[in-house]
Amino acid sequence: MKKLTIGHLYPDLLNLYGDRGNIQCFRKRLEWRGMEAEVIPFLSGEKIDFSKLDIVLLGGGSDREQELVCGFLKDIKDDFKAYVEDGGVVLAVCGGYQLLGKYYKTNKKTIEGLSILDITTEWQPERLIRNIVLNSPLFEQPVVGFENHGGRTYIGDHTPFGKVFYGLGNTGKSGYEGVIYKNVIATYLHGPLLPKNPQVCDYLLEKALQRKYGEEVKLEPLKDETEKKANSYIADRYSDKKYVLRETVKRHT
Amino acid sequence: MRLRSKFAVKCAKATSSLIKKLNRGSGVTLPGYVARLIDPNILKELSGQVRKKTIVTMGTNGKTTTNAILCKALEHEGQKVIINRTGANMLNGIISAFVLATDKHGNLDADYACIEVDEIASVGVLPKIEPDCALLTNISRDQLDRFGEVDITYNKLMTAVTSVPKTTLIINCDDILSYSLAQESKNAFVTYGISEQIFDDVSRSEIRESIFCRKCGKKLEYQFFHYGQLGLYHCPNCGWNRPNPEYTAEHVVREDELYSFDMDGIHFDPQIRTPYNIYNTLSAYAALKTMGAGYEHFKEMIEAFDYGNNRESIFNINGARVQLHLAKNPIGFQQKVSHVLRDPNPKDIIIQINDTYQDGEDVSWLWDVDFQYLAESNARKIITAGTRKYDMALRLKYEDVSCESTDDMRASVLECVEQGTKNLYVIVNYSGLYQTNHMLTELEGKGGTER
Repeated sequence: MKKLTIGHLYPDLLNLYGDRGNIQCFRKRLEWRGMEAEVIPFLSGEKIDFSKLDIVLLGGGSDREQELVCGFLKDIKDDFKAYVEDGGVVLAVCGGYQLLGKYYKTNKKTIEGLSILDITTEWQPERLIRNIVLNSPLFEQPVVGFENHGGRTYIGDHTPFGKVFYGLGNTGKSGYEGVIYKNVIATYLHGPLLPKNPQVCDYLLEKALQRKYGEEVKLEPLKDETEKKANSYIADRYSDKKYVLRETVKRHT
Repeated sequence: MRLRSKFAVKCAKATSSLIKKLNRGSGVTLPGYVARLIDPNILKELSGQVRKKTIVTMGTNGKTTTNAILCKALEHEGQKVIINRTGANMLNGIISAFVLATDKHGNLDADYACIEVDEIASVGVLPKIEPDCALLTNISRDQLDRFGEVDITYNKLMTAVTSVPKTTLIINCDDILSYSLAQESKNAFVTYGISEQIFDDVSRSEIRESIFCRKCGKKLEYQFFHYGQLGLYHCPNCGWNRPNPEYTAEHVVREDELYSFDMDGIHFDPQIRTPYNIYNTLSAYAALKTMGAGYEHFKEMIEAFDYGNNRESIFNINGARVQLHLAKNPIGFQQKVSHVLRDPNPKDIIIQINDTYQDGEDVSWLWDVDFQYLAESNARKIITAGTRKYDMALRLKYEDVSCESTDDMRASVLECVEQGTKNLYVIVNYSGLYQTNHMLTELEGKGGTER
C-alpha cells in the first residue's frame, strides 16, 4: 500500500485559520483512494528528519507566535532548504508563507525567515481581510479562500500561485497571489485552502507520490460534489458584479 | 445638565420613535449615533448620572448571559439598573441604552449600569464611562476576520483598561490571557476560577490559544484543561502560575441534565445545563461582591434564572422537542457539540452557517471545532443550511460524517418534526438566530402541521 508521511510543523505555535482542514484533506483524499497517510506533528523544539517526510505543512500564526517560531527555524534552515531543492512538497499558508522568505519586517522588529524563497514581507497597519478568488494556470477550477494578513509580500522574480480575480493578494496592489516554486505552494489563502480546492490538494499529493514512487503514478479522480459546490458558491458570488458592488459599498459605509 | 446634551437626548429619542413608527427595526443603534453627532460628550454626561456604580462586561464568550445575571441580581436587591440590549454593545448601541433610559427631562434615574461592551469598541467606550468595575469573561479566537488575531483583541482590551486605571478588573484566572492582561495592566483586580474538572473531553477542543508563557515564552504545563487555553497552568521555566482564585465554585455535580455547585459555602441549584454557565454565574457573583452591592437574594434569583435568553430555547412543535442553540465561534460550538452528545437519545441535527459581517465572513473556524464526535451522536439525520451550508457539509464529509444540505430551513424543520426522531437540535450562528427563533415560535403556535 502506498503511503505518504506528512510533517505538520509547530502546530503548537502555528494553528490559526483552520490549518487542521488542510491536514485532514491530505489524509482523507489518500485514504479514500486506498492509500495511507501518516501525520507527524512536530512541536516547537523537536528534531525534524526531512528525509522521512513527503509533505511539509507550515501553517499560520499570530505575529507574536511567529517570532517564537523564528527561533526554532534556525536549527532546521539548511535541512528544510535541501528538502525543497530536492523537490520535496511544501504547503505554506499565511505566516508559514512569510517565514519561507528572507524576512518579515513588523512595526517593532524584523523576523528572520528561512530564506528558501527570495521574497520579503513588510507589515502595514491596515490588514488585508476578505474572501479571495484566484485563477491559476495550473487548474481549470478557480482557487477560492479567505485572506487575512497585515504583511505585504514582495515576490521578486518568483512565479505567483495565481492571478487575483477578486480580493487583494500579495501586496494588495500587485494583482497576484502567493508563490509557486518547485513543489512548494506558498499562499495567503486559508479557509482552509485544500478542502474547497481539491484540485490543489491532488496536485500536491500527486507530486509527493511521484517523488516517492516514480513519475508514472497518477491519482484517480474522486467525486467531489460537495467540494465543487462549496468552491462554486464563492467563485460565482464574486463573478456577480452586482454582488461585488453591494459588498464594496457595505465595506465603505 | 447642559443644554446641548438635552437637545441631543431629545433628537435621539425622536429618532428612536420614528424608527419604531416606520417599523424599521428595533432602533437600538441609530439614536446613539444621532446623540453623539449633536453632543460628542453625551456618554460621559449620562453615565456620570448613575448614582452608585457602573460595571462593564467584556470577553469572547458569555458576555450577554453574565451581564443579564448581574442586572437581574441587582434588581432583586431593589436597585434601578440600566442595561444595553443584546447585540447593542458597540459605542452607538451603548449610548442609545443610556439615552433611551432617560425621563422626559433628559435625566437618568438609575443606581447601577450594567453594560456589555464589544472588545473592539472597548477602547472608545471605557474612557467615556469610566466604570467602577470591568468584568472579563475570557479571551479566545472569535471572528478573526474582524479582530485580526487574538493578540490584537488582547492589545485592544489592554489599551481600554489602562485608560481607566481606577477601574477594578474582575478576571477569570483560569484563562492565562485574562490573567496576564490583569497583571500587565496595573489596574487593581479580583480573580475567579474553578479548580475542579467540570468539562468533559468533548468540550475540550485541541485548538487553543497561547499555551506559551507570556513572561518568558516557554511552553506552559497544565494540570488539566477546562476548554480552550483555560485550565490550571504553570510555567516550568519562570514559575509563573495560576493563582488561587478569590472566588470559586466547588463540589460541582451534574444530575438530571442540571448542574449544582457551592459558592462561599452556599449550595446553588440553578437551571444550568451547560458547564460554561457555572463560569458566568461565578463571575457575576464575584462582581456583585466586589462592587459591594447586596447579594441577599442571589440564591433565590439565580435558581429561578432563565439561562436560555433566546440563545438556548426549547420549543414543542407537534409533540417534538426542538432546541435552538447559538454557536458563533469554535469554543462556543465545541460546547454545543458536547451538549448534543450528552443526550444519548436518537436525534436530528440542523446546523445553519451564515457568513454575513455580523457572523464573521471567514468560516475557517469551523475547522477548529472537533466535529468528528458527531459520528457518535446517534443522529438520524444531520442537515446543513445557511449561506455556507456546503462549507459545513465539507467539514462533516472530511470527518466521514454523512449529511445533507438544504435551502429551506423551515421545510427541513417540519420534515424532522413529522418524520424524524421528535428530538431536534437546531444550531445557528448569529445572523440566523432571530429568524430561526421567530420561525420556531410560529411553528410551535401552529402546532407545526401547516406547510
